Amino acid sequence: MKYLFFYKRYGLLRFLSNHETMRMIERILRRTGMNLKMTEGFHQRLKLSFGQALPTGIIDRAGLFLISTDEEIGQEFIGKINSLSPHGFEVYRICKVSEKFELGRSVNGYVFSLIFLEEPNIPEGWKIEKYGKIWKTSFFVAFNSSSPRTNAYGQYLTLRESVVFKETFNDESACCG
Amino acid sequence: MNNKKHPSVLNKLVGVLDKVEKPSRYIGNEYNSVKKDAPLSVCLVFPDLYDVGMSHFGVKILYDIVNDLDFAKCERSYLPWPDMQREMKDNSIPLYSYESYTPLDHFDVVGFTLQYEMSYTNVLRALNLANIPLRSADRGEDSPIVIAGGPCTFNPSPIEDFIDAFLIGDGEEGIVEMLEAIRSGKDRSDKLRKLSNIEGVYVPSHNNRVRKRVVHDLKRSWAPTRQILPYTEIVHDRGVVEIMRGCTNGCRFCQAGMIYRPVRERSNDEILDISFETIKQTGYEELSLLSLSSADHSQIKDIVSSLREIPYTSLSIPSTRANSLTVEIAKAIGSVRKSGITIAPEAGTQRLRNVINKGISEEDIISAAKLAIENGWRRIKLYFMIGLPTETDDDVRGIGHLIDRIKRMGFYDLSATIGVFVPKAHTPFQFESQIMPDEAMRRFKLLNWTNKFAKLNFTDPHKALIEGILSRGGKELSYVIEEAEKRDLIFADWDEFFNAQRWMDLFKEYNVDIDHIMGKKSFKDEFPWDFVDSGISKGFLWAEYQRSLRGDLTVDCRNGCTGCGVCPNFGVENIIHGVRE
Repeated sequence: MKYLFFYKRYGLLRFLSNHETMRMIERILRRTGMNLKMTEGFHQRLKLSFGQALPTGIIDRAGLFLISTDEEIGQEFIGKINSLSPHGFEVYRICKVSEKFELGRSVNGYVFSLIFLEEPNIPEGWKIEKYGKIWKTSFFVAFNSSSPRTNAYGQYLTLRESVVFKETFNDESACCG
Repeated sequence: MNNKKHPSVLNKLVGVLDKVEKPSRYIGNEYNSVKKDAPLSVCLVFPDLYDVGMSHFGVKILYDIVNDLDFAKCERSYLPWPDMQREMKDNSIPLYSYESYTPLDHFDVVGFTLQYEMSYTNVLRALNLANIPLRSADRGEDSPIVIAGGPCTFNPSPIEDFIDAFLIGDGEEGIVEMLEAIRSGKDRSDKLRKLSNIEGVYVPSHNNRVRKRVVHDLKRSWAPTRQILPYTEIVHDRGVVEIMRGCTNGCRFCQAGMIYRPVRERSNDEILDISFETIKQTGYEELSLLSLSSADHSQIKDIVSSLREIPYTSLSIPSTRANSLTVEIAKAIGSVRKSGITIAPEAGTQRLRNVINKGISEEDIISAAKLAIENGWRRIKLYFMIGLPTETDDDVRGIGHLIDRIKRMGFYDLSATIGVFVPKAHTPFQFESQIMPDEAMRRFKLLNWTNKFAKLNFTDPHKALIEGILSRGGKELSYVIEEAEKRDLIFADWDEFFNAQRWMDLFKEYNVDIDHIMGKKSFKDEFPWDFVDSGISKGFLWAEYQRSLRGDLTVDCRNGCTGCGVCPNFGVENIIHGVRE
């Protein structure tokens, strides 16, 4: 069975590199004790694939990873995995997907937001909104195009807000969380 | 003094982490780190970069022991890399703990582990970043009590002006007694007085003599299994199980082999139990079986064959003995062939290996290499030292001949690391001199011809000299160390920061008598560390030294007592669980 996990990575954990995030998740999964499919070969590793890599420093609300297992998992697994995770990492949704599901073919892209502490000077045509003392702008980035850099527009924070799937995703998946 | 909240550190931290290399090494909050409130707060500092400090096992032991106490909590800190130090200075961020982001000067106790002498200047830099007065004499009621442990404390003299109390030897029981003393002391001087009465504790302002602390046996509860998981890739990123403490081989150059006596093995069953628990608590994919010489554990074959059954977990053994058993174990753990096998002949001729009592023959080395070839290894790493007592040019050339002979056996990749011998305190060779850098360079040249077929890696002889001076010197070095920190001679173990000339200039300016510190000594000469009793008498060390000069071997003390004195002095004995083949 294939499961797609949705996670958030926030607080100080936004300073993890992509590689560090992957290793952290791999070890969290190992701590759950669940029976995961491994790669073939002498040096076996967890069979685990991830959504698009993020540069260090970005808050992630749309992290994705995909695992294969022979165990049936559901809502209660969300509590279990989060109890075995450091503060700042949180799984909030798990979807059972079809065996032929692949991240690269199902994800259209992501919505990013930039938060500014003063009125920003951003490219024309971008929609900017003011909330109390902060300014916020959001935009769509297609899968496998480059993510905004943390210092690109003088923004205070960069967030990956959400994932945008291709249409077929919802019809084929059963989700909890 | 403690229990205050310090949002300011965390807020400022977030503002600088975007600007430094590998910010994840400064964020703390790792899985398995312990956040608790307790009346007495301790911060253990490893005086080097996080990547190194988090790989160290001793801190893991003490961290759990202290956090298991009702009245105390233990947090951690490390020395930030210079880019982070600059940001911290510019933004008034003091050195902070990785659990609660508390400035170090708010702790009741700050403890350093002294694993290598080159980190002494790092200790002072850490104190500076923490706004703690460097010298004990300048600390007041508001300052933390600064304590230190680790192998370097067996000669505490060079750094004793900066440390309020040393814990020398095994720390498991001593640390608890120290914290109880600090908790019950009325004021700073009462605390220090109470500390000075604890076995194994040296308070420079109170004690004239000190005897190392020994634990009789390694208790199961002392094995840390909830090991903290770093986010950053660190030097040794794996679960660790200490399978044995101490070593019975009696190599005459080895300080660890002398100061960690007697041998205390954990049993096979206990090691399995600790291993399973560690993997469960950490999710680590690799487990390291730690000891000074793991192949010597009496049950090592059983241990390895049981642990191999743990699914999806690889094993590693830091082993140095150049014999067939090492290869057999490497084969049994299925260690990756392409990463190569490591053996340490230490010296190039049998005569010299006998002088250092290495206890292996040329045939042991050759048959180990042969077995490695037969089992598919094509890469091999060898370790040697030059400058060992009585060494002649023929002995140095012998290293080359041995490299040549092993290379011809069919390894396509042979690398040899050749270090400069440093005669360490509390070893039979403490009476010996260390060769100077020019002489070391001359001897290195005798090996240049092997460059054609082997990768030679010579360690810096100046670094060895500085290490020798810092390890053999006395109290007079405190001013040198203090000035070295001011001149930014920190991270001295890191090649990109090491500057031999600036150290040598400093020694000259402070009239450090290098020839005296590093020269040959007789039995009657006094050493700065004579007041530290390791349990091994100076007479035994001298006798061993004389035996070495005659080329006489001393047996492994598993096979018969050699009379070093540790067991009767402390009322302990070697703890060995199995019957050795």
